Amino acid sequence: MSFIYILIPLLPLLASIIIALAGWWLGEESRKVGVWAVGISFAVSVAAFVQVIIQGEEIVLPLYELIHSGDLVVKLGLYIDQLAVLVLLLVTGVSFVVHVYSSTYMTGDARYSRFFAVMGLFTFGMVTLVMSSNLLMMFMCWEVMGICSYLLISHQADRKAACHAATKAFLVNAIADVGLLFGIVLTFATFETLDVRLILGRAEDISDQTINLLSWFGLEWHVCKVTLISLLLFMGCLGKSAQVPFHVWLPNAMEAPTPVSALIHAATMVNAGPYLLVRFADLLKLSPVAMTVIAIVGATTALFAAVVSLTQSDIKKILAWSTISQIGFMIMTCGLGAFVAAIFHMLAHGFLKGFLFLSTGNQLESAGSHAHHDSHARPAPSLYVGALILACAPPLLIFSGHYQALWTTHNLPAARITFWVIGLLTVFFTAIYLFRGIVTLFARVPSAAVQPRFFSLLHLAAIVVGAAGLAGVLMAIWMWFVPFLGPAIGAPTVGRFWPGTHVPMLVASIIAAGAGWMLALVLHARPMLSFVPRSNFARTMYVLFLNKLYFDELYSVYIVQPTLRFVRWLWQVLDVRGIDGLIHGLARNAILSGQWLWRVVDVRGIDRAVVDGGNQGVGLAGWPGKAVDVRRIEKSSDKIGRAADASGKKLNDVEPRTIQHHLVVLIAWSVGVILFFYWFVL
Amino acid sequence: MDIFSEHVLSWIIAVPFVGIAILAFVRSELWVRRIALACTLLDFGLILILLTLWPGVDVDDQGMRFAERMEWMPTFNIQYAVGVDGISILLVLLTTLLSPLCVLCSWTSITSHVRAFMMLVLLVEGAILVVFTALDLFLFFMMWEVTMIPMYFMIILWGGPGRIAAGSKFVLYSLTGSLLLLVAILGLHVQGGHSFDISELAGQNYSSTAQFWMFLAFLLAFGIKLPMFPFHTWLPDAHAEAPTAGSVILAGVLLKMGGYGLLRICLPIFPEASAVFAPYILWLSVVAILYGGFMALAQDDLKKLVAYSSISHMGFVTLGIFVFNRQGIQGAILQMFNHGIVTGAMFLAVGQLYERTHSRLIGEYGGLHRQMPRFVALFCLFSVASFGLPGTCGFIGEVMVLLGVSEKSFVMVLLAMGGIVLAASYILWMLQRVALGQPATRMASALPDVTAREIATLAPLALAVFVVGVYPRPLMELMDICVTQLVEPTNQGVPIEMRSLF
Repeated sequence: MSFIYILIPLLPLLASIIIALAGWWLGEESRKVGVWAVGISFAVSVAAFVQVIIQGEEIVLPLYELIHSGDLVVKLGLYIDQLAVLVLLLVTGVSFVVHVYSSTYMTGDARYSRFFAVMGLFTFGMVTLVMSSNLLMMFMCWEVMGICSYLLISHQADRKAACHAATKAFLVNAIADVGLLFGIVLTFATFETLDVRLILGRAEDISDQTINLLSWFGLEWHVCKVTLISLLLFMGCLGKSAQVPFHVWLPNAMEAPTPVSALIHAATMVNAGPYLLVRFADLLKLSPVAMTVIAIVGATTALFAAVVSLTQSDIKKILAWSTISQIGFMIMTCGLGAFVAAIFHMLAHGFLKGFLFLSTGNQLESAGSHAHHDSHARPAPSLYVGALILACAPPLLIFSGHYQALWTTHNLPAARITFWVIGLLTVFFTAIYLFRGIVTLFARVPSAAVQPRFFSLLHLAAIVVGAAGLAGVLMAIWMWFVPFLGPAIGAPTVGRFWPGTHVPMLVASIIAAGAGWMLALVLHARPMLSFVPRSNFARTMYVLFLNKLYFDELYSVYIVQPTLRFVRWLWQVLDVRGIDGLIHGLARNAILSGQWLWRVVDVRGIDRAVVDGGNQGVGLAGWPGKAVDVRRIEKSSDKIGRAADASGKKLNDVEPRTIQHHLVVLIAWSVGVILFFYWFVL
Repeated sequence: MDIFSEHVLSWIIAVPFVGIAILAFVRSELWVRRIALACTLLDFGLILILLTLWPGVDVDDQGMRFAERMEWMPTFNIQYAVGVDGISILLVLLTTLLSPLCVLCSWTSITSHVRAFMMLVLLVEGAILVVFTALDLFLFFMMWEVTMIPMYFMIILWGGPGRIAAGSKFVLYSLTGSLLLLVAILGLHVQGGHSFDISELAGQNYSSTAQFWMFLAFLLAFGIKLPMFPFHTWLPDAHAEAPTAGSVILAGVLLKMGGYGLLRICLPIFPEASAVFAPYILWLSVVAILYGGFMALAQDDLKKLVAYSSISHMGFVTLGIFVFNRQGIQGAILQMFNHGIVTGAMFLAVGQLYERTHSRLIGEYGGLHRQMPRFVALFCLFSVASFGLPGTCGFIGEVMVLLGVSEKSFVMVLLAMGGIVLAASYILWMLQRVALGQPATRMASALPDVTAREIATLAPLALAVFVVGVYPRPLMELMDICVTQLVEPTNQGVPIEMRSLF
């Protein structure tokens, strides 16, 4: 029965194909195709989830051989284990909700069916990525998602900013994907297979193999192959999951319609990076260097994006930077070895962020603008709850003590404390910007008749209690979650996972989140205390972060523009003036030397000799001319010429066709002759 | 049926020539077009029949199927010998697939001397078919030359504003290559026991000096055709100035003659020399990949951009061929096939734009998505296939070449991947300026969408892009055996003696 799970990726793909081909005819009816396909896909995912829980073993579905060339065999197949099935639920679930949501949200859009076709294709890509049993297949889905992201960001193609954002998103990812593809090539060279399970199974065996990176320069720098492969795979994650320094595309990607932002740029596609890391957890764990790098990059991104998020004023931008920050948190968690926590946070964040975006989309739709200052919409309390959970979830998980042991595996105590501090700071900032973003989205109306009522103590208390209850639910899920997912990705299951011994850390993190909330509340209540303090240093910092540390500008000035200038220069110098110049020079010299030869050898040399000789010859030949009657010969030749002329005219009348016909006759004759020889002579 | 099944290859070759003969008697332009289309379609159909016969046909001792041999000029040991194996069948298939599309795309864009144009298209198709199937070097050379003449006339008679210079450049470059080819073939004839038979020539031992010079001559001849860096400057001009059908034939099929020559002649006949030259060729290929990408990024002219991207893609072909392993060579052959489909389609699409506006400048378009949504959808598809998006055909060839090269050098793999990033850059930047945004000129703001005929021109290629992209196994199985044969001798080569020549 397990073949039924092929429907999970197949249905969205079919829907996409149908809508793409028949979209002109379906029109807005295409939403039905998309919604039904993804809905059934979600239902089948739930079935798979149930089966995995009941049977406790993974489902394997071999498909077909993509490449078979010598020892390079790429077998495509689907593989559903505990990890995959959880992410599947997230992807198909959010995708279904977003499909339903956008079927009304996108009404009236000129490219309605195109939108659903690409959304279906995207869902197919992400689902297949999650289920794929082969690294190359993963990469293919990875890129398919990339192009879907491109197509959806440029959905409103009339807007220049949207087109620019789309190109930028794809190109930034393309650069990062070089790392991933190179990692795949290196993986194949090392393991001689691209099957994920075989790779992970053989990872232990090659953990002491090294590769000399500088052999090309005759130097020696031996690096563990495991480290190199891990870091290269991680480079791919940097792009897809918008980590520093490849994060620049995600804020721009908010040009996409809001449902797209919810599905692709918050809930699913950007999670591909952490997913890949967790999928290859067994490989990563063998390399302390790679783990440390991953943790550092994740921590940097988490903190940096959280601070930038504080300075933004567009709600979608705030959410985008928040996404970067949260995924940085997941990546950091992976780097610290807490893979299960990373996946848990991914699921929680995916659902919540998708929900936040969709709620925002509702509000924006009624307000008609991203800029929140002129918004009159009534706030939705659900947003607060979502935001609160989002702010509190990371500390609850990460500091829950279960991973205390893992924290120390690869890191020095000093590093450990650094990560704690960064984690707490991120939580603190997350609380501030989420609160601020939501509050300002709905409430900043100077002459508002309706004062937001959320600042009554009662309401606040209700939110806190509700959040605490939800946190409790989260913890309960978490207690089921660890033994469910842990074994599948090789996380240790022994020992306690309830934070009995680490209550102080837990409390500290909740206090951090609470402090963030309180600060935001105070700042909101008294706008005079703005985020731009009066000292010069603080103002400089504010401007720096407002401009995102000038990453975009630096890339433009130091990478994009120089490249474009360089290629123009290269074209002019090498192709136009260089090679073509050389060839034209050759030609000119050939002509010149030809002329010289002609003048010297032909005209002066041979011609003169011939003319001289000819003169003498003419002298000799003059004699018979005198002897014969010239006039008689002339007369007869004249007659012949006239006759030829007349016959030519006659021929012209008879045969008005062109020379091609003579050619054809000739060809026909030769064909006939050849056939004659072929059959009768040979 | 016997006469058909035994001579199916000759029938396929004969169809275009017969078509030329028929066209000579037809005056109506409409019927000229119809007959040309019928001939090319008939040829494609015959190839499909041949493919269905393929598994049941015996392989002869040279690994060929459907082989036919006849004495042609016995005094010089010249034969009419044709046959196909797994490598040539793909290129023959590509040729016959693209030819009907060339006729279709010239349906309205060629208005003067339609008959002559269609005759040239058929002539070049027939000649290329012989080149890809010839088992006799003399026949190969003769038809190699014949391909050049129609292309020259297509460029200078129906081309763009700079057509005369471009045509002359094309002919002069090609003639230089042909001259070297002729010299090398005659040299091989003399050295190899006065034979022109490729398989007879392959089994012999040539002295290292002879190998060196003959290989060099062949390499230059094929390298100019491919084109390899730095013999590529004819290509952007010729592609840009040629009429659409000419560009499609040039990029789609004619360039493959170079790669085919390398595989059919250089590798089997000169295994040692190939091994010695390989490192240099590999590096030239890497340079071509990057250089073509850089150049394409610098272009303001749509057709030149596609032309330079061809140089970059053909770099993958030589890269794959000269790593001498199975993945590399299979990847290279697939890359040739895929490049034919994708670049052919790109030129067709650009030609459709050109037919509407008579402008090739990227800056004069923009915002096409509004007036021409169907065109933009197809154009996007071919564009992303052009930079090797996984799931389209461009990816399989490139990734196989990369995996093959990884056995030799990781630096080359990394640099070649840089070429892929460049490809994504110039393609997407071009798309952004042509298809998205607002129209840059009034001309671009009111263009009619593609007609049914134009969709029919592009649709087969779109289908091929996906089919090859997700299920390339049949193509690989076709060429599996010949690639095995090709890989074995080159790996056994003893390159030690040749080193002294450098």
